[in-house]
Parts: sequence; structure tokens; C-alpha cells
Amino acid sequence: MRLSCSDIGFGDWCLESNIIMVNVLKGVLVECDPAMKQFLLYLDETTALGKKFIIQDLDDTHVFILAEVVHILQERVGELMDQNSFPITQK
Amino acid sequence: MKLRVQLQCKNLHEYLKELSPEILDRLYNHPATCLAVYRELPPLAKNYVMRMLFLDQPLPQAAVALWVKKDSEKDHDQCVSVLSGLRLWHSQQLQGGLQGNILNPVFKDNLRIALLGGGKSWADQGDSLGPDRHARDVESLDKYALERWEVVLHFMVGCPSAAVSQDLSQLLIQAGLMRTEAGDAPCITSAGFQFLLLDTASQLWYFTLQYLNTAQTRGMDLVEILSFLFQLSFSTLGRHLREFGLVFQRKRKSRRYYPTRLAITLSAGVSANSSSTAMGATPGTGDSGFIVVETNYRLYAYTNSELQIALVALFSECLYRFPNVVVAQVTRESVQQAIANGITAQQILHFLRTRAHPVMLKQNPVLPPTITDQIRLWELERDRLQFSEGVLYNQFLSQADFEVLRDRAQGLGCLVWQNVAHRVIVVSPQGHGEVKRFWKRQKSHT
Repeated sequence: MRLSCSDIGFGDWCLESNIIMVNVLKGVLVECDPAMKQFLLYLDETTALGKKFIIQDLDDTHVFILAEVVHILQERVGELMDQNSFPITQK
Repeated sequence: MKLRVQLQCKNLHEYLKELSPEILDRLYNHPATCLAVYRELPPLAKNYVMRMLFLDQPLPQAAVALWVKKDSEKDHDQCVSVLSGLRLWHSQQLQGGLQGNILNPVFKDNLRIALLGGGKSWADQGDSLGPDRHARDVESLDKYALERWEVVLHFMVGCPSAAVSQDLSQLLIQAGLMRTEAGDAPCITSAGFQFLLLDTASQLWYFTLQYLNTAQTRGMDLVEILSFLFQLSFSTLGRHLREFGLVFQRKRKSRRYYPTRLAITLSAGVSANSSSTAMGATPGTGDSGFIVVETNYRLYAYTNSELQIALVALFSECLYRFPNVVVAQVTRESVQQAIANGITAQQILHFLRTRAHPVMLKQNPVLPPTITDQIRLWELERDRLQFSEGVLYNQFLSQADFEVLRDRAQGLGCLVWQNVAHRVIVVSPQGHGEVKRFWKRQKSHT
């Protein structure tokens, strides 16, 4: 589901004329590997951060998201990495 | 989206290149400086300088180019850039209209004096003082030097026993290695952590360069200080330097100064092999490295120096401590904690390599690949997501519109990402205003 300009409070301007129109959105570009991108899509679907934050899914390694969720996202990714790591040796 | 500040450690040449030409020329007025700079040159450059030292006329560039074989062109070019960067030579038109090279006359004269003798004596007053009743031998000088330097490092790590003068702590704050907030005691910054893990020669250089930078604000003459430093490494003299451990002065008022090994290595410079035996001694250990790293992530540090133990504890968890050895473990948490403090994986590995025990040095590579790879992977874990703020443009009605806007953004240098197939671009927020104005102008034309 794509967000539209009004949803993200973007009231700046929309380029328009009768003939030529371009859509303009503000946010944050995220670059990551494909596996991590699937994780982001999963978080988005289950609204784990409290709301949907992906503005647009660009390609295999890039996503465009809301600016305000950056911190929580880093925390979530950190938690995922912690869950997947195991202490190597006994002390 | 924080940037991690990397500690830049310049060597003598890079620092000199940054000075203005007038200061450089005044610097070259001292034979000691010329000799020190000459010693730092790469071998081919030294050769060139020697060949041109006694020529009074410029030499055609074509002739200089003939001095190397065809396949060493790269070395020749590198040499030329080094010599020009340091303003050791410049081009001059020859009579036939060709371009020639001639050595900087100031540099030339002073290097001749340095090599052949003559000029003012560098070690002034040394003989007139007579034999020293409290003469110190080399060993105790070394010990003194290392002690003083360790006190400085201890102070940075935060050991309560270390105390340094106001001047020195001001200098540390100005160098960005420590930070003080509203009257509290200074505490260390992430650049400070990186500094701690460097080897001693690099630390010395960085510190001295910072001191030189602040010297100008104190009204001390940069040229005097620099030439004094170079003289120091060839003979004697110092006051702030006493505190760094670069010189030993028995009382503040005594007229004798003894340069210590630390000062001599300053002149040898950072570019010299940092594992060479002349500099070899890492503080607090004697002659050799003292850390053994095993493939099970255990670390054994054969030392009882508080400073070294504190440094090892920066990135590992200490398990046991005995009178002569400390056992620690390198874990994901401890490494990530260090990285959160601003240390990079490269620095941790450099620290381990430079202080590796002789037993470790026998194996190749020195550190087990599992350990080096894993430390790097733990660092990369934090970088799995890369964020950049931007403005997304999509739904262009025609390919031509897309290309016009894209090219404009690229021309301004603010294009962050594009996808030609879907006609989508992302522009940085700084460039967005300009691109918007451009687009409005575009449309009003059509």
C-alpha cells in the first residue's frame, strides 16, 4: 500500500502544469542487502514499529522510508542481530 | 547517520606540504631541518637531490627524465611530485626555451652546510658546562622518557594516579583527544580512544603536530620551534618537551638538557618502519611485543603495566589477572562496545599486530584469520543499513522530462540514486531547492 502526499504531511508543493506532472516525496533512502530488505518489508507488513513506514519499495537493495523511524529501525535491526548471535565459547 | 571521525596521522612530509611557502623557506634556512627532510625522502628522490646539489644552473627536465629506465616512469613521477610538494625544486626557463629544474637555493646551501660542515654550531654551550655531576646514562633516560609518556596516556585513560599540568591538559583538549564539560575533569573522546591504540611513534607525531598548531596561537614562532625540534634530534635542548618525556632536565632551572630516545625517533619519523628495532620498545614491556591471540578468541597479555592492561580492556573482557599475565576474551559485546566508543576494527587489529608476542610473529599471517575476519564482521554488523536523507521524484510523464531533471541533479552533484527503468530519482535535501527552481523554470518555458 503506498502512502500519498497528504499522509506523510508533505504539503510543500506538487509540480504541476496542465501537461507535465511529477510526484515529489520527502523521506530517507535506505540501502541494504536483499536479506535485510525482506526484514524491513516484514516489519512494515506487521506494523511492528507502530505504523507503516515504507513510502516506496525501490529495488532489491533500496527502500524509501519515513524519516522519523530511523532510530527505532536501528534498534530493531540490532535486536535481530543479537537474537542471531550465540556466545562462542564458555567462559 | 553519524560520521565516525578518523584520526589522521600525518608524517613529516605531509605536515610540511601544508605549510605556506614563506614559512617553508624560513625553515629551510636551518641546516638541521634540511638534513631531516632529506633523510625522509624516498631513495630515488635522495639520488636526484644529490646529483643536483652542486649544480648552479638549472637542469633540463628531459635530462632528469633520462635518469630512470623506461619501466620506472611511475617512480620518477612520484619523486617529482614529492620534490615539488616540499618546494625543494622549482621549474625555470632555460636559455634554449626548455623547461628546467633547479634546487631551491636556500635548501641547497643549507644542505651543503649540513653535509660538509660549517655554519653555526648546533650544539651550543654543550661543552662550556663541563662534566655533569648528575650525568644519567642511556637506560635511565629511556626509562624516564617512557614513564613520562605513560603518565600522559594514563591521564587520558582516566587513572586517578596520573596528574599532568594545566598546559598539557589544555593541549589535549585542543587536540580533540579529550573533552571537558563545565568545570568537570576532562574525559576522553572517541578520537582519544583511537589515539591510545596507535603505536608510540605515531602518537608522538600526532601530539607534536597538535602542539605546533597551537603554538602559533600562543605567539611562539613556528619556524623556531620546528628547527629546534630538528636540532633536538641531532643534539640537545626543551621545556614543554620535558613534560612529554622528550627531554630530561634535572630541575626546571638546570642548563643541561638530555634528549631522550623519544625525541630521536621524532626525527626518524612515522614513515620509518614502526616495527624496526631502533624504535622497537613498546612502553612498559621492555623489548618485544607481549600479546598472544588464540583462535578461540582468547587473549593473553604478558605485562603488568597498568596502561597496557587498560588498553587491552578497551576492546576485550578481562577474565583473570596474574602477576605477569592478563587473560582476556575478545567477544562480540566487548568489540561492539569499543566500536560504539569510536574505535575502528582496523585500529584494534593494528594494535594487536604491533604488540604481538615473538611467538605470534613467527606465524604468517601474524593474527589468526578467524579473529581478524570476525572483528571486521562485528564492525560491519552495525552498517547493515545505510541511511541518506533525500527527496524522491517519480511518476515522470515522459522519458525526456526524467532525463532533463536527472542530468540537472547530476550536474549539481546532488543526485543520490536513480532508477532509469522506472524513472525514479532521489535527490539530496540540499539540492532539492535548486532542482525545484530549475524545474519551475523549465515548465514555464514549455
